[in-house]
Amino acid sequence: MTSSVVAVWSHRSVLRLLVQRDLTVKYQQSILGYFWSLIEPLAMGLIYWFVFGVLYHEHAGPDHGPSYAMFVISGIFPWMWVNSAIGEATGALTGQSRLITTMKVPREVFPIGRVVGRFAEYLAGLPILVVAAIIFNAPFSWYLLSLPLAVLLQVTLLVGLALLLASTNVLLRDVERFMRLAQRMLFYAAPIIYPLSRIKNADMPEWVKMAYQANPLVGIFQLHHAAWYPDEFPSAGLLATSATGCLIVLLFGWWIFRQLEPKVLKEL
Amino acid sequence: MKPIIEARGLGIRFVKNRRRQLRLREMFIHGMRRQPDGTSFWPLRDLTFDIQPGEAVGVIGKNGTGKSTLLRLIAGVLIPDEGSITVRGTVAPLLELSAGFSGDLTGRENVYLVGSLHGMSRSELKAKFDEIVDFAGEQIRRSIDTPVRHYSSGMKVRLGFSVIAQLRHPILLVDEVLAVGDKDFRQKCYATIERLLAEGRTLVLVSHNESDLTRFCTRGLYINEGRLEVDGPLREALDAYNGTSLPRPASQPTRVHT
Repeated sequence: MTSSVVAVWSHRSVLRLLVQRDLTVKYQQSILGYFWSLIEPLAMGLIYWFVFGVLYHEHAGPDHGPSYAMFVISGIFPWMWVNSAIGEATGALTGQSRLITTMKVPREVFPIGRVVGRFAEYLAGLPILVVAAIIFNAPFSWYLLSLPLAVLLQVTLLVGLALLLASTNVLLRDVERFMRLAQRMLFYAAPIIYPLSRIKNADMPEWVKMAYQANPLVGIFQLHHAAWYPDEFPSAGLLATSATGCLIVLLFGWWIFRQLEPKVLKEL
Repeated sequence: MKPIIEARGLGIRFVKNRRRQLRLREMFIHGMRRQPDGTSFWPLRDLTFDIQPGEAVGVIGKNGTGKSTLLRLIAGVLIPDEGSITVRGTVAPLLELSAGFSGDLTGRENVYLVGSLHGMSRSELKAKFDEIVDFAGEQIRRSIDTPVRHYSSGMKVRLGFSVIAQLRHPILLVDEVLAVGDKDFRQKCYATIERLLAEGRTLVLVSHNESDLTRFCTRGLYINEGRLEVDGPLREALDAYNGTSLPRPASQPTRVHT
C-alpha cells in the first residue's frame, strides 16, 4: 500500500489535471458557474433555518454563541463537500472508463480527484462563511484553528470512502443507489443542523448514544461548529474516536481498492 | 541489453456471463481469488517472450484471440492473473479510437488533457500544439474548439494519433486504428511510424492488414486461442495464421513424416 501511496503522490500533476477538467466540464455549460457551489448550500441552509430556527424556534441551536442561522451555515458547507464527494466518487471509475482503460496512471487518482474537486468548492465557499460570521457576530478566535483539523480528518475519511465506493460500484452497480439513500441518513446521523447536546440529553438508551458517536462524522462536524461556537469543541475522547474512525476507513478503503483493482480493470 | 518488454508465463482470466449482482458477502469473505459463478476463460495464457529495444513486432491472430488484451497488459491498464510482464520504459498507447478523449471537452482541451496525462509538459504542448493540429488535418483545425463528441470516428483517431505521435516514449502500441483513417492520413501515419522506428523506438502493432504488418514489422507473434503459437520472423507468423484458415502448406513440419 505504501508503494501505491508513493505512486499517487508522484502523479499529483495528473490529479490536478483531472480536477481542473472536472471543474471545467461542470461549470462550462452553466451561466452561474461556480456560484452554484454557493447557492446550493445557502438555499439548503435557508430551508433548515426556516424549519428548525423559525417554526420550532425554541433552542434550535446551541445554548451559547451566535444565532442558529450561523450554526446551520457552518454545518451545511462542509456537509455539501461530504455529500457531493461521496456522490461523485461512487461513479468515478465507471464514468471515466475511457481514460482508465487507455492511460497508465495509478487508478486511485480518479476517486481521489473527485474528493479534491469538491474540496475546491468547499474552499470557494469559505468567504461566505466569513461574511456570515460577521453578519451574525460570531467570534474570530483561536478556535478557528479547529477548521484545518476538521478538514484533515474529513479528507482522510472521504478518500477512504471514495476508494471503497468507486471500486465496489464497478462490480455492483447497486452501490450507487444504496449510497443515495445512505447519504440522506448520514445527514441526520451527525450534528450538522442540530447541536450534539440534543443527542446527549435525548431520552435514548446509552448504547444508542455510543453508537451515534462512533460515527467519525460526529467529531468532524463538531470541529466545524467549534470554529464559531467554542463550547462545541469535541472532547478528547470524541476526537480520538473520530480520528481513529477516519484512519480505519482510509486503510480499509485503500485495501479494498487494491484487492478489487484487477477485477475492476477487466470490467471497465 | 535487457529486453524492453519481458513476459513470463503471462496469463489473464475473464469471466463469461458473470452475474451482475455479486453478493457482497461472497466478494469480501472469499476474497477476490474465488471464482464467481459463470464460466471463466483465459483469453491469454502461458505467454513468454522478450522484446528488445528497437524491435517492431506484429501481433497476429483471429478476432477474439486476445491480441488487444495483450496490448492492454503491456500498456499496464490490465493486471495479469498469472505470470508477470515487465516493461522497462514508458508506453505511448493508441489502444482505442478515441485515445481517451472526453466527449464533453473540446479538441483543444482534450489535446492538453491527454497530452499532459501522458506526461507532456505544458510548455512542450504549447510548442507542439500547432504541429499536432496540422498533422490531424484541415477538418480538425476547423473544429478544434467544438466538443469531441461531435467528431467523427475518423477525426478522433486522427487527433489521437497526432497526440500519441508527439510523445517521446520509447514504446509505441498501436491497435488496429490505422484501418480507420482515410488514404491520405494513412500515408502520414506510415511516414510517422517509420520515422519513430528510425529513431529507435519499439513498436507493437496489432493488425489484420498484411501489408501494414510487412511494412513495419520484422517479427511476428501469432496468437491462437490464447496461446503463443509462433514467435519468429513475421513471414513465419503470417504463414501460420493463414494456415489456420487455408489448407496447411506442405512444408509444415508436423506433416513431414506422415
